[in-house]
Amino acid sequence: MTPRRIALAALAVAAALAAAGRARAAPAPLPVQLALRDGRLRATVDVSAAFPTSLQRELGNGLTNVVAIYVAVVPARGGGPALIYGRVVEILFDVWEETYAVVVKDPHVPQGVRAVLPDFAALRRFLAQERDLDLGPAALVPPGGFVVEARVEVNPVSKEQLQRTREFIASPSGGARGAGSSRSVLGAMASFLLRAPPSDADVVLFRSRPYETAEVGR
Amino acid sequence: MSAEGGRLGGGLRSAAAALRVSRFELKISAALVLAATVPFVAAIFVAGQVVEQTLSLGLDPRVVERLTAVPSLYGELFQARKQLYAQQTLEIARALPRDPARAPEALRAAMARTPRLRRAAWYAADGRLLADVERPPDTSEGEWRDAPARATLPGGGELDCTFEIEARFFAELDESRELAELVQGLDALRAEIRRTYVRSFAALVVGWAVVAAGLGIFLARRTTRRVSALVGAVRRLAGGDLDVQVEPGRANDEVAGLARAFNAMVREVRESRDRIVYLEKISGWQEVARRLAHEIKNPLTPLKLAFQQLDARWRASGARELDPAFGARLAEAGEVVRDEIGTLQRLVDEFSSFAKLPEVRPDPADLGEFVDDFLRTSPDVSDAADVDVVKASADTPVRLDRTLMRRVLANLCANAIDAARPARARIHVGVARSRERAVLTVADEGPGIDRATRERIFDPYYTTKKTGTGLGLAIVKKIVLQHGGEIQVGDRPGGGASFSIALPLRDGA
Repeated sequence: MTPRRIALAALAVAAALAAAGRARAAPAPLPVQLALRDGRLRATVDVSAAFPTSLQRELGNGLTNVVAIYVAVVPARGGGPALIYGRVVEILFDVWEETYAVVVKDPHVPQGVRAVLPDFAALRRFLAQERDLDLGPAALVPPGGFVVEARVEVNPVSKEQLQRTREFIASPSGGARGAGSSRSVLGAMASFLLRAPPSDADVVLFRSRPYETAEVGR
Repeated sequence: MSAEGGRLGGGLRSAAAALRVSRFELKISAALVLAATVPFVAAIFVAGQVVEQTLSLGLDPRVVERLTAVPSLYGELFQARKQLYAQQTLEIARALPRDPARAPEALRAAMARTPRLRRAAWYAADGRLLADVERPPDTSEGEWRDAPARATLPGGGELDCTFEIEARFFAELDESRELAELVQGLDALRAEIRRTYVRSFAALVVGWAVVAAGLGIFLARRTTRRVSALVGAVRRLAGGDLDVQVEPGRANDEVAGLARAFNAMVREVRESRDRIVYLEKISGWQEVARRLAHEIKNPLTPLKLAFQQLDARWRASGARELDPAFGARLAEAGEVVRDEIGTLQRLVDEFSSFAKLPEVRPDPADLGEFVDDFLRTSPDVSDAADVDVVKASADTPVRLDRTLMRRVLANLCANAIDAARPARARIHVGVARSRERAVLTVADEGPGIDRATRERIFDPYYTTKKTGTGLGLAIVKKIVLQHGGEIQVGDRPGGGASFSIALPLRDGA
């Protein structure tokens, strides 16, 4: 991950954490397994509490659903994240095949990795177990102890959704049959000015137990 | 400081003067900005309401809910089809004969009675293909997509059937999903969209208002500049500058009308002043002429009588025969004295005439008829000159003193005749009418009058003739001015001098 991306992701997580007032916190500490490999801190977290079985109806509605998962290392005494990782999972239930097609995008694979899962149980396992996440250089782990925080957002406004909405505002009848160009100055301007609002998606926050820096072998 | 620095400073001062905003301009600009801003605030409020209402209409929760449920409905449709095909496959499997040799016939029969069944394959328990019946896809009703169904046979083996399902369902599903996701996105971004539209509208209206205000200020400045120029001109007029004029511009508005009226007023004031000054000057010269005539006239008669007595004494004396040379000299001197006394007498007469010019007593008349009347009753003019009369207007009602105006016309004609000597004169007389005045023109084909002479030609005692007194044109001008008119001298097109007399039209004409 480039420094620029780290900075952008840090900003995103900071903004996300700032908006945590509308989020619900998971009751139990976040189960985390940390590992150090090639000087980088890797984590496996279990966020299954964010994906109850009741979510099957929403994720299996035949529309593209988005799940965003952010995992961050935050100083125990408070402050901004020292290390972060984020991924976005697009889920589309194929109502003919009755399978879940997922596309996972993260800073390492921005174009996404596709997978097909046979049922909701498999999807739930896929989403809940975030394995071997590359949080960043272990050298950046805060020296005075830290906690691992995770934030799971279900159906935030995605970049694709924002772009689609912008295109629609700029040319509302662009896709309609027989409709001529209906671009207007107002629409184009509104399209240009449209920004994603602060997330009001279904958000679940997780927080691990405090870790000593020594526990990660630094 | 160098000349370049001076020019730069002058340029900066000019630019600063151009940017300076007067109080009047400021008020107009403020009014324009206010006029643009008040509706703007209301428009922003209304825009917010309109956008909210539009979004409410388009994003009714029931609509969003139904749209987002469409893919699930297709899912249920697919489920129903799958169950139907599974059921039909099971029924075909139950009806299969025990003898595999009769399988193709049985499968063909099943295919004939089962709609949308395109292929049926019977596999033995060991995987051998026992029968496989297939019909070509029927594309007459659109595109189809394969929908497999499988049934396990009681004795082992399985029956694989391939049904057809309308491909349009999948296209419709994709389209519905895109639309539902779009509506879902709009719904999620609803508040932001509303704010964005209001912001965009505000930005556009602010832009338009700024442009409108700028344009208004630009246009207002054009007017206020002209008003400021008028104010400056009025101040100069108040300071006694009667040559001040204001450029009315090409616009045809009230300010231009005011400028034109101002210019006309200043012209009239200037003409009145010139008229008064001239008449005062003429009055002074008339007094001088009166005294001169008096002083010259008084000794003329005794002088004449004294010489007559001397001549009579000489004729009666006996010395006449004794000195005939003296008699001849006396006769010669007597002739000179009589001539000079005659000249002085004529001078006195002209001075007296000039000094005793009567007051103008105007009566209603038509200028054209007056000219005709003058020419008809002036044989000395028609004898000495060919006169052309051109009347550009049918009637030219004026008020004039016929006697004095005859004198004017006679004087101008006499000048024209003199200018043509020794040739016969040709005089062009024109009568025309403008909006406010009747114009009489008397032109000749003589050598014309040079510019320096024109400046003084109406001054009393100024003459270019050897025998003139320089009073004729002064009298002409005085009479014209007393009629409330003007006289101007210029060139006649084609050569010669031209005198134009403009008289006010009669009231109510």
